[in-house]
Amino acid sequence: MIGEGTQSTNQRRHNYVRENVDVGFFTDPTVCIGCKACEVACKEWNEVPDDGFTWSGSSYDNTGRLGASTWRHVLFLEQDRQKGNQIVGSSGDGADPFRWVFLSDVCKHCEEAGCLEACPTGSIIRTEVGSVFVQNDVCNGCGYCVVSCPFGVIDRRPEPLADAGGAFKCTFCYDRQKSGLVPACAKVCPTESIVFGRLDDLRARAHERVRQLRENGYGDAQLYDPQETSVRGIHAFFLILGEPEAYGLPPKPEVPTIYLRSAWLSAFATMIAAILVVFATFFFFA
Amino acid sequence: MKAYYGKRATAENDFGYNWIPKITDDHSFFEYLYAIADGKMDGMFLMGQNSAVGAPNSRFQRKSMAKLKWFVVRDMVEIEPATFWRDSPEIERGELKTEEIETEVFFLPAAGHAEKEGAFTNTQRLLQWREKAVDPPGDCRSEAWFIHQLALRLIEKARASNDLIDEPLRALDWWYAEDEIGEPKMEAVLAEINGWHTDHVAAVADRGPHGGVLFPQDRQGQSHHGPQVADYNELKADGSTACGCWIYSGVFNRDGVNKANTRQSRDYLGHGWGFAWPSDRRIIYNRASAKPDGAPWSERKKLVWWESEKWTGIDVPDFKPNKSPDHIPKDGQSGLDGQRGDAPFILHEDGLGWLFVPKGLQDGPFPTHYEPLESPVRNELYSRDTNPVVNWFTRGENRFAPPGDPRFPFVLTTYRLTEHHTAGGMSRFLSHLAELQPEMFVEISPELATDLKIDNRDYVCLVTLRGAIEARALVSRRIRAMQLNGQTVHQVAIPFHFGTAGPLRGDAANDLVAISGEPNVTIMESKAMSCNIVPGRLPRGAAYRDWLDRYAPQSGPPNLHPEQPPPGAPTGGKFSRGQGKHGKAE
Repeated sequence: MIGEGTQSTNQRRHNYVRENVDVGFFTDPTVCIGCKACEVACKEWNEVPDDGFTWSGSSYDNTGRLGASTWRHVLFLEQDRQKGNQIVGSSGDGADPFRWVFLSDVCKHCEEAGCLEACPTGSIIRTEVGSVFVQNDVCNGCGYCVVSCPFGVIDRRPEPLADAGGAFKCTFCYDRQKSGLVPACAKVCPTESIVFGRLDDLRARAHERVRQLRENGYGDAQLYDPQETSVRGIHAFFLILGEPEAYGLPPKPEVPTIYLRSAWLSAFATMIAAILVVFATFFFFA
Repeated sequence: MKAYYGKRATAENDFGYNWIPKITDDHSFFEYLYAIADGKMDGMFLMGQNSAVGAPNSRFQRKSMAKLKWFVVRDMVEIEPATFWRDSPEIERGELKTEEIETEVFFLPAAGHAEKEGAFTNTQRLLQWREKAVDPPGDCRSEAWFIHQLALRLIEKARASNDLIDEPLRALDWWYAEDEIGEPKMEAVLAEINGWHTDHVAAVADRGPHGGVLFPQDRQGQSHHGPQVADYNELKADGSTACGCWIYSGVFNRDGVNKANTRQSRDYLGHGWGFAWPSDRRIIYNRASAKPDGAPWSERKKLVWWESEKWTGIDVPDFKPNKSPDHIPKDGQSGLDGQRGDAPFILHEDGLGWLFVPKGLQDGPFPTHYEPLESPVRNELYSRDTNPVVNWFTRGENRFAPPGDPRFPFVLTTYRLTEHHTAGGMSRFLSHLAELQPEMFVEISPELATDLKIDNRDYVCLVTLRGAIEARALVSRRIRAMQLNGQTVHQVAIPFHFGTAGPLRGDAANDLVAISGEPNVTIMESKAMSCNIVPGRLPRGAAYRDWLDRYAPQSGPPNLHPEQPPPGAPTGGKFSRGQGKHGKAE
């Protein structure tokens, strides 16, 4: 957290991989300044190519969304709502509320990961620290993971970019973590809006932060950390102001594999029905 | 002088004082720009700057470049000043023709900050050494390399000449050794900045591990100088010492430790991390942390205090070490001796802190309000709209709209984006930054967008009396209209990082900005001006001139603002104490 300096978990070396500790990202938009240093650090460290110089006209967000070549994405949300006790506008009475919220989005590293469940090659694995990791030398580019991610995170990289065809997403800087380093995005975050650390520790700190914000006028501060749905919790969770939909976060994310049983059942029922129809037809004409 | 001219500087020749080039005129940035435009300056070195994008009235800046005979541009990427003769907007518009430009442009590749060593000093007076992480690629070299190699060549030419005007170059003591890629040893330069005894066998105390002599050999392998001075108190005016810059003295002295490169803080003031000039003093006027009687005001925040008949403490005292707190100067004493023992602000004559500055500034002593040089409204506070001692730099290419000019009804301001760095040489050309803010835009309020029938993402043109640019409209409620003197005034905002070079598209915001100068240190006013917005795209090529003439007629007098003096005339009447030529009083 801010003010901890070199003692912050964002700056300390660690042994989480060797000790099999579940790690996480806690991202807090109330201290994010929208500098996008996380996006740049991520691309620099992971050698992710730029994916085009397209100006969006959507606030300061020219990144758009997470994808094969965007593993951190800072959302810029302009809302006609009040931010904490902040008063804007010339009237000074809060009658004309407005807020500009920045949130650095990232792969959620689900406990029950749709991409991992769907991967037929075993390319996508779970690491010692609980993160979900794509082994790009194994990936055959089938794209099943892309449609199975409840958050729309993972994607295949289009031509003409390097390593086109394969599926890519945030690695949680697994290579850095193996060496005791903090993921690049958290390491460079100047306000510690992104905090890296032990998942249990982060959850406790996040609840404390929500309490603190609510006490200070942020009545709509809440955690986005779905644990009741089939994803059974995420390793990268967020503090948000207002509703998750505004941030492009599904309120009830589900792993597609929970539909397998009903899918198989309906397929089986269809097969039985088809056989019956065939037999019925046969007897009808016989 | 001894550091400049070494053995050639003697008491007989006044240590070579007459060899130093003298300032003959106001040679500040805008003054020499006008000198270039008037054909009075032949050549220019442009290092670490992009005046074709990042300087006010950049259209005029680019056109002026074509008046130079030679132009050396050093940068890490091929920035606009290096290519103005080939692909500037002026070439496209036919205002400049490549075949008619006689400027010889030299583009030299520069090393990045991780590719060179040296010290930088921040505004808190802290010197911090920067080590080289990697060699620069290819032919890229540091600024130090360039100056060093240029000096060697100039000195060689001067030695081959008999002309008296070349004597200062012949006299230069250019002794610095080089590393394997021709870069001068920067620590040798720092050693010279610290200062040394010129006598090789000078009798000094505490000679330290290397006999107190650092980088002893010159380029011929001869012994060049004696032991380092401990600090500036050892400097003498008799030629027995040499010092590159006395305020830095002590940074690299006889103990052989480059203190700018130390990284172990011993206390909360940071002693042990870098070196703060002068004398590693971290807080200036730190006597003020103690009460008049010399005891600290606060135990927790104490810096220096009076103890055992001297000043001591965590910081280096910024006070005469043995001046007691009850010292009262005698009649006739002046300078530091004329200040009381309880007067901490030693650079002020009376040693006291000042609530306002009674002298030295061209304006003041108190802050007040004048309208910007261009404003849609009149000044409510005074009968004058603008600061009477401001520098207008009046010129036909640099005109200001009068107050409330209906042709320019909107307020324009410029700002920076976090994704880009000033004129963009270090960010626009890097894909990971460029993709985050890839195009020039203008931020417009929804109300103004409705008035002008502009949609988000539309192209619009912005025009002032200096020029016109094209930008994409970014309509946002973050931009609000102002209520000024009972009228609604809309403002728009633009980033200033874009230009024609590199992978991104965008006109230079500074094409719109006028050259001006606040009266003390000539900082230009680029945060407020008046403009017009015309929906649609800006005509390219020769059609630009006609378009511009329609919205901002380019003929007429250079001083349209009623408070603006004509070119070359003093400004401001009896209140003015300004100096210089262009709209400034003598």
